[in-house]
Amino acid sequence: MLKTVNKKVSLVLLAIGTGYLILAYQIPSYPYTQIDADVIPKTLGYLLIFLSVLLFISKDSETEEQKARRNIPKKEVGMLLVVAGLILLYIILLEIIGFVLVTAVFIYSCSRFLGYKSHITNGVVSISLPVLMYLMFTELLKISLPSGILPF
Amino acid sequence: MGSIEGIITGFQTAFNIESILFVMLGVFAGTIIGMLPGLGPISAIAVMIPMTFGMDPSVALIMMAGVYYGAIFGGSTSAILLNAPGVSGTVATAFDGYPMAQQGKAGKALAIAAISSFVGGTVSVILLMLLAPILSSVAISFGPPAYFALMVLGLTAIASLSEGSTIKALISAVAGFMVVTIGIDPQSGTQRYTFGNVNLLEGLDFLVIALGLFALAEVCTLVLKRKDQSFRNLHNIGSLKLTKKDFKEMSGPMSRQSFLGFLIGVLPGAGATIASFIAYISEKKIAKNPEEFGKGSVKGLAAPETANNAATSGAFVPLLSLGIPGSGTTAVMLGAFLVLGVQPGPMLMTERPEIFWGVIASMYIGNIFLLILNLPLIPYFAKVLKIPRPLLISLVIIFSMIGVYAVSFNTFDLYMLLLFGVIGFIMRLFAFPAPPFILAFILGGMLEQSLRQSLTISNGDLMIFLTNPISSALLILSLLSFVFPLIGQIRKRKG
Repeated sequence: MLKTVNKKVSLVLLAIGTGYLILAYQIPSYPYTQIDADVIPKTLGYLLIFLSVLLFISKDSETEEQKARRNIPKKEVGMLLVVAGLILLYIILLEIIGFVLVTAVFIYSCSRFLGYKSHITNGVVSISLPVLMYLMFTELLKISLPSGILPF
Repeated sequence: MGSIEGIITGFQTAFNIESILFVMLGVFAGTIIGMLPGLGPISAIAVMIPMTFGMDPSVALIMMAGVYYGAIFGGSTSAILLNAPGVSGTVATAFDGYPMAQQGKAGKALAIAAISSFVGGTVSVILLMLLAPILSSVAISFGPPAYFALMVLGLTAIASLSEGSTIKALISAVAGFMVVTIGIDPQSGTQRYTFGNVNLLEGLDFLVIALGLFALAEVCTLVLKRKDQSFRNLHNIGSLKLTKKDFKEMSGPMSRQSFLGFLIGVLPGAGATIASFIAYISEKKIAKNPEEFGKGSVKGLAAPETANNAATSGAFVPLLSLGIPGSGTTAVMLGAFLVLGVQPGPMLMTERPEIFWGVIASMYIGNIFLLILNLPLIPYFAKVLKIPRPLLISLVIIFSMIGVYAVSFNTFDLYMLLLFGVIGFIMRLFAFPAPPFILAFILGGMLEQSLRQSLTISNGDLMIFLTNPISSALLILSLLSFVFPLIGQIRKRKG
């Protein structure tokens, strides 16, 4: 029954649409308005369900190229997850340790992890770029970035 | 204010040292970002937005316009040199630009691209200057029903014109609209989909969506392709000189496609991509020697390059005069206007003439800069393409994160950015186009407002959309924009 990718995707979308719709029915009503806040969400919920059904019954017209795009080797999936993990760490540490240090460490380690071999260029870029950006934002644009544990 | 007085005001705004410097900066930054693989005008505009804080809005917007067409031009450079069009608007450029580069005539190809971009850009700015005020004065009488219908047309048009499945494009648009319902409903004050999270009360910032769906999703693709070494085979640029014969060959496509490209750009949903393909196909059809197309034809390169730049200015017509973007890129541009506290639309021309005309006037200057900056500097710019992929990936991630953080100062938005990066990547894997998503996200709030205003006027009667002549005509048009492709598909199947 779930032979094609479209059918699987449409079921996921159907679930999202239904969840969204259930929440739409829980939006509290506001008596003094002609059109309440839940009208658009309900419409969108039904629309998504309708479109998912259409997607389910429609013929799969994917090209081979599109199918090949989903064929990601396991090792590469791991790579993507590690990069996502590094980003997550960056976000967690940004306000604690400060922009300059976290950014420098991020650029160096992320480039290194992805296979960049030149230590010197990597080091120079990962130190000079955050410092320049920090100065530009705080001095020129007057936007303060987290200074963190550095005293300036 | 007439066009002539207006454009004088515009030149007064655009012709001072500060504005000129920022146009230069915008064009320069746009070209470099646009050149990077996968990063197009949307990412370029989004990344540059934090830079505009604290700037005078008219100067800031002039700079953003520079970023926009700089990015389009930058995309052509990577299309010609690497056969790696950064954005879909420059795919057709690679058809003849890349073969030309392979023949050792990369410099010539880049010069043709620069000159035809300049001509397309300049001619269409003149048309923009003439058409936008007219449309503005018509649109000033539009009520909420007409606006509602106009936005519906914009959304259906982009969905029916995007590549691949129309159903998927519509789903993408509905999803974008769903995301914009998160937050406090501005009309009733009711909380929707906030799950008690304070950070969601104001809804999600458009930068989170734009940078997530476009820049971060592209990072994932770049990670997978990081070992691609094609950029190492960068050809020697060679001479930039064009012969009289080249100019003669270019003149036909340039003059035709400036107009055609502009018109396509004005239409909702269609933009640089469609304009460049139509230009390529139509020039091939009328050419005396169509067999040269695809093998490094001068005409085949000049046509899409003229058209995509003409369409870029054309897309400013609905944006400036109606306040309604017709494409993903102009939607992000609208976001930039709103961040700076400027509401484009029919009132812009009368209330903020210095911005309305300043942006238009700056395009003349920007186009000239594109030509004089880029022609001699192309060989140096091209070095940007040699940035090692791992380093490029780290830098794109950092620029996206700082772009979002400098707007919200809140790490919550960074988590959301990461989430939308993942969503954007999944959408790519399953061939759901992202432009309808961002357009719906930006139009969603306005669309809901105009719908509710209309229905409040009519006491809940839906007939208001049909009795109003403008809105009924526009709604019929949006219906047709679906019926036609469907008929085409059915015919294809039968055939």
